[in-house]
Amino acid sequence: MADQRSNGPTSPGLEPIFAVRDLDVTYLTRHRPPFQAVKGASLAIAPGEIVGLVGESGSGKSTLGNAAIHLIDPPGAITGGSVWFKGTDITRFTEDQMRPLRWKEIATVFQSSMNSLNPVINIERQFQDAIQAHTGMSDSQCRARTAELLQMVTIDPSFMRFFPHELSGGMKQRVALALALALDPSFVLLDEPTTGLDVVVQKSILRNLKEIQRQHGFSVLFISHDLGAIMEVADRVIVMYDGELVDSKPTENLLTSDLHPYSRSLLNAYRELWGVPPDATTSAMVDAVASHQDEPVRPIAALTPGDETVAPTDRDVAAVESDLERRKRERRRSTAGSGEVVLDVRDIVKTYTRRRGFTSTTVDAVQHVSFRLERGKITALVGQSGSGKSTIGRLVTGVERADSGAVSFLAGGANRKVDVGALKGRALKDYRRHAQLVFQDPYSALNPAHTIAHSLMRPLRNYRKMNATEARAEAMRMLEQVGLTPAERFIDKYPHQVSGGQRQRVVVARALAPQPEILIADEPTSMLDVSIRAEILELLNDLVRDHNLAMLYITHDLLSARLLSDEILVLNHGRVVESGGAERVIEEPQDDYTELLLKSIPNPFAPAAAAG
Amino acid sequence: MVYFLRKFAFFLLTLWAAVTLNFLIPRLQGGDPAEAIVQKLSGQNQAVNPEQVKAVRLMLGVPNEPLWRQYLDYLGQTVRGEFGVSYSYFPYSVLHMVGQALPWTLVLVGITQILSFAIGTALGTWAAWRRNGPFDSIVSTFGAFFGTLPFFWTALLLLYLFAFKWPLFPDGGGYAGDSPPGWNWAFISSAAYHSVLPAVAIMLTGPIGWIMGMRNTMIQTLGEDYTRLARAKGLSERKIAFTYGARNAILPNVTGFAISLGGIVGGSILVEQIFNYPGMGRLMFDAIGNRDFPLIQTIFLFLTVGVLTANFLADMLYGVLDPRVRRGGES
Amino acid sequence: MALDSRGFALPDTQARPEPENPVESPLQEERKSRVSAPGWLAVIWQNRKSRVGLGILGVFVILAVFAPWIAPFDPHDTQFFPSEQPSAAHWLGTTQAGEDILSQLIWGARTSLLVGLFAGFFSTVIGLVIGMIAGYAGGWLDDILSFFINLALVVPTLPLMITLSAYSQITGIAFIIFVISITGWGWGARVKRSQIITLRERDYITASLFAGDSMFRIVFREIMPNMMSLIVASFIGAAGAAIGAEAGLAFLGLGDPMTVSWGTMLNWANNSGAMLTGQWAWLVAPGLALALLITSLTLINFGVDAISNPHLREE
Repeated sequence: MADQRSNGPTSPGLEPIFAVRDLDVTYLTRHRPPFQAVKGASLAIAPGEIVGLVGESGSGKSTLGNAAIHLIDPPGAITGGSVWFKGTDITRFTEDQMRPLRWKEIATVFQSSMNSLNPVINIERQFQDAIQAHTGMSDSQCRARTAELLQMVTIDPSFMRFFPHELSGGMKQRVALALALALDPSFVLLDEPTTGLDVVVQKSILRNLKEIQRQHGFSVLFISHDLGAIMEVADRVIVMYDGELVDSKPTENLLTSDLHPYSRSLLNAYRELWGVPPDATTSAMVDAVASHQDEPVRPIAALTPGDETVAPTDRDVAAVESDLERRKRERRRSTAGSGEVVLDVRDIVKTYTRRRGFTSTTVDAVQHVSFRLERGKITALVGQSGSGKSTIGRLVTGVERADSGAVSFLAGGANRKVDVGALKGRALKDYRRHAQLVFQDPYSALNPAHTIAHSLMRPLRNYRKMNATEARAEAMRMLEQVGLTPAERFIDKYPHQVSGGQRQRVVVARALAPQPEILIADEPTSMLDVSIRAEILELLNDLVRDHNLAMLYITHDLLSARLLSDEILVLNHGRVVESGGAERVIEEPQDDYTELLLKSIPNPFAPAAAAG
Repeated sequence: MVYFLRKFAFFLLTLWAAVTLNFLIPRLQGGDPAEAIVQKLSGQNQAVNPEQVKAVRLMLGVPNEPLWRQYLDYLGQTVRGEFGVSYSYFPYSVLHMVGQALPWTLVLVGITQILSFAIGTALGTWAAWRRNGPFDSIVSTFGAFFGTLPFFWTALLLLYLFAFKWPLFPDGGGYAGDSPPGWNWAFISSAAYHSVLPAVAIMLTGPIGWIMGMRNTMIQTLGEDYTRLARAKGLSERKIAFTYGARNAILPNVTGFAISLGGIVGGSILVEQIFNYPGMGRLMFDAIGNRDFPLIQTIFLFLTVGVLTANFLADMLYGVLDPRVRRGGES
Repeated sequence: MALDSRGFALPDTQARPEPENPVESPLQEERKSRVSAPGWLAVIWQNRKSRVGLGILGVFVILAVFAPWIAPFDPHDTQFFPSEQPSAAHWLGTTQAGEDILSQLIWGARTSLLVGLFAGFFSTVIGLVIGMIAGYAGGWLDDILSFFINLALVVPTLPLMITLSAYSQITGIAFIIFVISITGWGWGARVKRSQIITLRERDYITASLFAGDSMFRIVFREIMPNMMSLIVASFIGAAGAAIGAEAGLAFLGLGDPMTVSWGTMLNWANNSGAMLTGQWAWLVAPGLALALLITSLTLINFGVDAISNPHLREE
């Protein structure tokens, strides 16, 4: 779909600093058919411009960026087109030819959870070897420069002596950023630089980045799956789908431009997640759904809830709009306290002691937290890493025991009260039937050595005492219930044969198999593509209402909590700093921390557009 | 810091365990071990030498004492270095015989091992750096084969070829009979000359293991993210290979080195026997032939303690090389 | 840290601190989403080295199984002219007692394969059980078992085997298999323990707990299937080590005097002055056979390792 939308810098006439033309990148393996990750891509970045490249998993965005600067390993290779840097064709440059450009002109920052810093040398030396590879600076000069760079990214220079494993994730990323800027490059490639970091940390790093870029004027290619983060910093946004660049628009016009159906559906996925009314340009919607039916990258089609194969019409879209309104009303009704309480958490405290050498530090994971879970209601625990939310999840399921306070499970009304913390052995095993988990990582939540049938049948045979035939029939029924129809197509597959979203549905089905009263979902969608997140949250919502379950939704994403839950508890360092109805917490936050969280979430739809 | 202390504690604990194991082995079959030994020997139609029985009884203590008392006696004896009398080298004490043989083994095994490790690691680095290149292909294909050649077999072949068929080297012994031991040039050169074949026998297959190990580990470290960043930084190939690839790859190999020492000692026993080299290995072999139990036991103890010590040193070295271990955790 | 059969680290997902919401390395994700894992058999066969290994092993197995029909003479038959050089009648010559060397070589394959199979099997099983209990149980049980595993690794095996053999009143192949098994399980235990510690943290294991499976079932039906390639590689390695150990013991004269094995052949060759009589075939053949057999096992393991460590695959 190469047309005027996808190339040309914003200021025509200015020589682009970095450009690719009709680039093809293919993975050529000996024993499998070649896989083309990038197809005929063309883009150009002007000096001083920040360009964001957004795409979901499998889109080829990382391959594009890394291949262009000769950083991908065999069997991946550039198989067509050209790459230009400052007017020179670098497509066929050898490593020796690239080396003078590296770091001095072209620098990179990789993904935060990566192991990008050499674990056996300290921070100072990480800078030193890069600087000394290209300049004749002495050791002390390097040290001075390193201190300067660290301060630029708000890190105390004394951290130079430390080793990478002694720094937190956020700090390592700042170091990586400072490292990239060490030699004042003219072009910086950022590949998922803030993915995996706390929202607050991410916001501060992005703001820092923008300031530095304004001062020094280097160009940036920012690759990410997070559209919000990209729109925070980029001047222009390029959208990539299935190896092709489908759109290239200035950021400020993105929401109002005429977009490729995929881009449109991507934006709508975000809207859905954050409860913003969908884009009502209907004919484009029809195109979007009709032309993108394949897995795994599939744009959201679930604006008609539950039915993924039918293209929405005008009426459907209107129906969806009112459907969202309806759900909002339903939720308001249910918060009036109609459900029975199944889990009562009172004043729980949990402290961990960590031993390092001869000293020990105490970490107050959970401090005096109380809440209740009611049938038919979804309660969200929102917090960043270290807030204690996962610990609470473990306390509720009996995996760990609270130091004080009580977690009580009320089975069959308030008659039988079970102290979850005191459960052991057989009793604990029985309890697990009532409180089930939905996991975060769909890739590790299903045993790769067994079929889906096996994984689903285990709880049926253990808890509902079914025999093999009964269990299989029930498993098929459950697959249909979570939207995997026809069940025959999925039941005997292995996990690696289905997509991430489909796996997560199986995980949900398995959780519901023993017919629990409580469902605990710990970040169930954070590892899925944005376009699929809304569907899974939809699914959970429907199942909770239909089966009258109590659900605890643990997440770091405050806005998705609004979509799904009735009540929100905001956690900060183990304490509940805010609690209340979902709408209220988001629209009228009382606590400063909640406000900080809301401000930090990159939300391109927020009315007051971020002016940096 | 905790790391070093933990390793030291482990060292002490295993020392104790080795000593205890040494105590238990003769007693494993129950009953009076001395009697059992005598029975075994007479069962094999060997003349039972009264000296032998005396030596065994001396070593094993009074049979009617309770086990724990025997154990304490044994511990005391060990600490005092009283390992008994070797009846096959009567009247020399076991300690004396071991003391004579120890330096020979230490020199032969110590030097060849360190050389093997150094050469092997260097070559392995080269093979990984030029993966699928000519050197790597040769090494990978033949390396597996050469590495499995039993030490003693290559020793036999070397002995045959270079001492019998083409008499370039002496056919055995640690030194020529007419150069008595001492710090003089005649002795040292003679000793060196005699150790060439044994050393080559060990080194022919020694480095191979390290080459393969280092190669595989380095292929992995070269695929790591930090190596990609190093390449992105435009560092020279050499720098990437050493500071990023090899420096990280060597860590598991240091551990491997420590663990392999036990096997090396075994192999050297065989080599020494073939070359009649006057080290611990040949001493043990002769002791087996002579059924000189006090000697067998003490050699076992010394070999074990030696390996444990070397292990401990290797662990210490690892702690120095890997900052994650000696300075743990996030701040 | 997860290890392969030789103890070298597998791509490690544990060493880095877990981020808030981890996303796979973008490049890896892009490759994975289109390309599926080849069957394990295909990987082994694709690997050139392991193909060669399988071939060589096959030859030895045939020799061992069909020894009575393939060997020209009885290996203990001393009727022939002693100390002969290789000739048409005796391809490898005769021993100084007048036995045919080639027949001894062929029958020797049985001993080596038998010891390799059984000692390899037993030491793998011991290592598996101890390693898995230590890895899964954790806590104080793990500490105690880990100590024993480290002890088993550090104590030099040949001296230990020698000492045990010297005191033992029993001799014979069974005893040799026993001695090799109880001294050689350390490496396997260590590797399996590491692997289980990694696997135990996986979500699907927690899910099994929540599905009501017993610990026994979890360890054997959920965890073990994911460790199969490691266990196989470990067995093959242990078998190779056992063959080498038997040869060493036999060479020192501690083997079973009744059975013919390549190690005892070398022992006889050395003691009967084969070097003086210039009988190079007697010296070369048994050692060469040992080396080839052990090599074939190592080569097969290259293929098995490639299954668990995609970096090593030949793509």
